[in-house]
Amino acid sequence: MRTTNRMVYAFCLLALLLSPWTVMARNVDLATVPARNTVQLTIYNSEDLTLVRESRVVTFKQGVNPLQFSWANTLIDPTSVELTFREPKTGLAVLDTTFPHDKPQILYWNVQSDASREAVIEISYFTSGIRWVADYLAIADTDEKTLRLDSFVRVYNNSGEDYENAQVRLVVGTINLVEKIAELAQVPVGRVNELKKEDYRDLRQKAARKMMAPAPMMEMAAGAMAADAAELEAPKEIIKEGLSEYFIYTIEGTETVPNGWAKRLRSFEATGVPMTVEYRYRPREYGESLTRLYLLKNDAASKLGITPLPDGVVRVFRTNSRDGLSYLAHQTLKYVPIGDKIELNLGVDPTVVFELVKKKIYRDNLWFQIKGGNLYRKLGEDSMKLELDSQVAGWDEHTVYRQKIRNYSGKPIKVQIRRDYPGDIVFRSPLNPILHDFQTVQFEREIAPGEKVGMDYEVIARMGYNQKQNRVELLSGEAGR
Amino acid sequence: MNQNSLLYPLSVALLLGSAPLDALARIKLTTLPVRERVEIQLDHPQVALVEEERIVPLIKGVNQVDFSWANTRIDPDSLVLRILAPPADSMLTAQVLSVSYPPNETALVWAVAASASGTARVRISYMLDGLSKDFHYRAVADRDEKTLNLAQYLRVNNNANEAYDAAEFWAGVGARFSKPLGLNETKEVPLGRFAAVPVRKTYTSDPVAFGYLDRAQDQLNVPMHYVINNVGDLFGKEPLPEGKVRIFQDDSQGSSAFLGEDRGKLTPPDDELKLYLGLARDITVRRTVDRNERQRIAGDLYRYDVTLKYEIENFKNTPVTLDISESVRQIRDDLRGDSDRDPEWQLGDGTLRTPDPEKSDADQLLFHVDLPARAVDGLAQKQTHTLRLTLNNEW
Repeated sequence: MRTTNRMVYAFCLLALLLSPWTVMARNVDLATVPARNTVQLTIYNSEDLTLVRESRVVTFKQGVNPLQFSWANTLIDPTSVELTFREPKTGLAVLDTTFPHDKPQILYWNVQSDASREAVIEISYFTSGIRWVADYLAIADTDEKTLRLDSFVRVYNNSGEDYENAQVRLVVGTINLVEKIAELAQVPVGRVNELKKEDYRDLRQKAARKMMAPAPMMEMAAGAMAADAAELEAPKEIIKEGLSEYFIYTIEGTETVPNGWAKRLRSFEATGVPMTVEYRYRPREYGESLTRLYLLKNDAASKLGITPLPDGVVRVFRTNSRDGLSYLAHQTLKYVPIGDKIELNLGVDPTVVFELVKKKIYRDNLWFQIKGGNLYRKLGEDSMKLELDSQVAGWDEHTVYRQKIRNYSGKPIKVQIRRDYPGDIVFRSPLNPILHDFQTVQFEREIAPGEKVGMDYEVIARMGYNQKQNRVELLSGEAGR
Repeated sequence: MNQNSLLYPLSVALLLGSAPLDALARIKLTTLPVRERVEIQLDHPQVALVEEERIVPLIKGVNQVDFSWANTRIDPDSLVLRILAPPADSMLTAQVLSVSYPPNETALVWAVAASASGTARVRISYMLDGLSKDFHYRAVADRDEKTLNLAQYLRVNNNANEAYDAAEFWAGVGARFSKPLGLNETKEVPLGRFAAVPVRKTYTSDPVAFGYLDRAQDQLNVPMHYVINNVGDLFGKEPLPEGKVRIFQDDSQGSSAFLGEDRGKLTPPDDELKLYLGLARDITVRRTVDRNERQRIAGDLYRYDVTLKYEIENFKNTPVTLDISESVRQIRDDLRGDSDRDPEWQLGDGTLRTPDPEKSDADQLLFHVDLPARAVDGLAQKQTHTLRLTLNNEW
């Protein structure tokens, strides 16, 4: 283990035979510094919160033993520091904890031991400044039938402390600590907001500690790395396990992430993941242009589905058949649960031309309001000449559209179109559309390479007095009268 | 490889230990694998992707491969290191274990495991800011303006603070080419030459798009355009990227006259590239509203009968075709105000009765009118055309 010259956590066993309270007044000190035996970091990505558990071997004498723990220039929350005894579990007790008024970032414990012995102690605390993010690399094959998805995790350490040979555990998922806090404190969820800030923090820490408690602490794995130099060293496996509504990634072995550094490790790699290409016009989701997408699923059939995909940036490339890559897009992937679909938005494809033309407009079914009263008449219903003070109150507005699409991509493509029509609408077409929802029409079309299609449809909007509903009705038939 | 321009050193630290932390001890011996090959992909509209291939010496075990990019704008998150498949007789397999990012340095360290000592061929891809491209064109029309020769050029501007001694470029259209690209250099290369491209010269009147030459006299502007159809056989079914077009005409004396320039828009296959040439002064078009009558149908519902009259003279000694373009909505709005509804209309029995079906829709109307050349005695023959419209169901 590398010795850090900053020695930011001075952990000292004050090797004096008498009670510690007299020690602090003295200017002549003697201390031994037990080294860290193991370190475990549990890093959340939804909050700036990392639980550190470190074990050290300490020799106690029978009686009261003073321990000093200090953490200059780090981001440790002092109220979160806890001392527990792992081996032996009995015979040792913390008598008290003192935070001296004149020395910040330091505390003293008085430990009562019923015998002289060596003990493994565990110190745990929360620190901020360590975070992790996921990111992804997607490389589609030249023919865009399959892709390779690499998932990475990147750990950033700006906590002020070098964590050497640490076991690293990453908590995936949107942590909803409030619920846990409520559960732990038996506070109704609705009353959590009433808690004082300090109480909230306290509960949050307790909750996180409890949550992480069942996971076993891996023993020191310093020897593991050097062990099999004969074989090709494989990238470290990241063990994924579900725990409650969270997912925990445990990086195989130990990692060293010095302060200020970031480290990126492969979480998983999946090759030959089946994918499809779809073109979609969905203005509410993708804006006013035809968007090209890669669609795949986070499931076992797709050679994925081992883990939910945490939020992260995905970069999409395509192999260009000369060992090279073509850059397609990058986007932020939202958390994808196991079994859910993954959509990679590649933006506009200049080789597919998408145009909407308004071809014709006409109006019929005109209704008049007679003299501003409650009487309505339809135009042409009787031969009565309507007077000037009768006003158009309702009508059907017919608009005939042609959706033109030209495919120069060199491949057959599938296009899906969704359009919203608020109001009382009849959608008449031979396009076999379906309703995506009460006011959104969806239709699809496959277009061969080089093909130019024109899809006609008529939108009949019942306006004013004629509007009786707020929904789209689908009607099969030719567009236009 | 010019060692002086080695601004992205890729170095392999020959360290005996394999602990990643040894990278912290920044005293080390490094080898500097040079670029074997560079590809610069400019096909994406916003992003330049650089791919370099290098042969990296590796020792058995874990190797530190440092990559640094001082003073350049590489997007570090975009960096991808791929180890290419080794030749069949090679014993060496290698893979990336992790990437470390040192603080306050434009650098990263890959930990690469090798099964044996030897070399591995790697590809490093990254997005680079400061490399940009634009297209421009030079068009030379023949004497009778029926065809033109179109040359397409690519210009690559290197403000990326990095030199490439030999890079293969791909701009998304045209052929790949290999050129050196120096620091702060702009490189221009011809991408395509298209000979005898059919061109149509158009004369257009369109009050909405091009307005009036003399509003008081109702005289419309008559702009001229060269129209090139990006048809498949000619341009290989590729879009013509946007860019400035300088237009010349062959003066049949071995030289050419500069006619003007225009910014051509992105033209997909089968679309038309329209290049503005200026205003034609030898064709006059006077547009007046000849008739505007309304007839009450019932209540406040009216039908409007509108006739537009065009008096056209061609003072040129060649016959031309005039394109008359109108927006029905604009006509309706001008004559009776905007009702916020699209106009419902029918064409009446004017002389303009058959709009171009490809270029007309519910609002836009386009008519082609043939104009004879000026007579031998110098007099232009005045033509009068009428566009009669019925605007139905207006209130």
